Amino acid sequence: MELDSLKYAWRTLASRPVPENSPGQIRALLQQRSKGPVAKMRRNLVGELLLILVTYTPAILFYFLEFDGKLSGIAWLFILLVIILAVYFHRKSRLLNAMQCAEFDICSSLRQQVDTLKRYIRFYVRAGTVMIPVMAILSWLIIRWKFPRMPGADLFYRISGSPWWQHPLIWLAMLIPVTVGVYFLNVWYVGRLYGQHIRKLQDLLREMEEV
Amino acid sequence: MLYKVCRLYCFSADDRQDLFQEIVIQLWRSYPRFRGESKFSTWLYRIALNTAISNLRKQRIRPSPLDVNEMPTPLQDMSYPGEEEEQLQQLYAAIDRLSEIEKALVMLYLEDRSYEEMEEILGINQNNLRVKMNRIREKLRKMTKEATYGIR
Repeated sequence: MELDSLKYAWRTLASRPVPENSPGQIRALLQQRSKGPVAKMRRNLVGELLLILVTYTPAILFYFLEFDGKLSGIAWLFILLVIILAVYFHRKSRLLNAMQCAEFDICSSLRQQVDTLKRYIRFYVRAGTVMIPVMAILSWLIIRWKFPRMPGADLFYRISGSPWWQHPLIWLAMLIPVTVGVYFLNVWYVGRLYGQHIRKLQDLLREMEEV
Repeated sequence: MLYKVCRLYCFSADDRQDLFQEIVIQLWRSYPRFRGESKFSTWLYRIALNTAISNLRKQRIRPSPLDVNEMPTPLQDMSYPGEEEEQLQQLYAAIDRLSEIEKALVMLYLEDRSYEEMEEILGINQNNLRVKMNRIREKLRKMTKEATYGIR
């Protein structure tokens, strides 16, 4: 098959009548949900945000209003977490915006998508991992601040007679394996979510760049 | 042009409809940023091909990549007289076996776009484009031989 000899046949396609789309049909198309990968990631992000708001708002209200406000520190902890998560969602949303670059040439667009998706994944893993020790340390501080020392709560206070370094060491011994475990869990999860897509984009880019 | 891109990149009618919708959405979103720095057709090809290439999803039905003659043609709903129809069927069947980037190159070539415009659309320099086009020609020849004579 000679490509040049097919040009004529290809041109007949141009003269073939195509289904007419009225402005109404185009409007209907634009109103439908996009099925593109970035649109799906954006919908997932909105879903995560809604889930956070739906679960955190009652908890915040509960700790502010119940127990005569004595546990309001926990409510503030949740508010702090919501602020951290808001930054996290904002950053993710900006990266998703950067991923939609259809008006560039195809090579640049692929390169930008690969770079942005890598940054997105890196951020996802790092933020998801760092949140674990941050939450644990904040909880520890709140508990020490709000609750008196009680029998059975030795984990949060220095045990009398024990050396000063023992207590943080116990916390470190618990936090480090959990954080490392969460890191690998996150790496596995983002690999499942985006691994195939990023590999496909990288293959396409490699094909474009090779001579 | 959008229909041609959809036909090249999607096998089933549902996939084509989804891709068409996606391209229209991308065109709608990108139009406010169109500054006229490139030709409108260049911009249009960029959006359509970018969307088709980077939005690749699992296709609903895939044809067998082994035998061109056994492949159901995406042109079943079209009727062309004799040789022309056969040529188009062969063309689509062969193109379906090319990579996504090669499909874009073939389409731009068949659309009679200059190498300069192809460079603007694809971001591949002209020398490289020529090399790739020669390889594609060779590949298509080989595929036709395979299909006709069963040569591997």
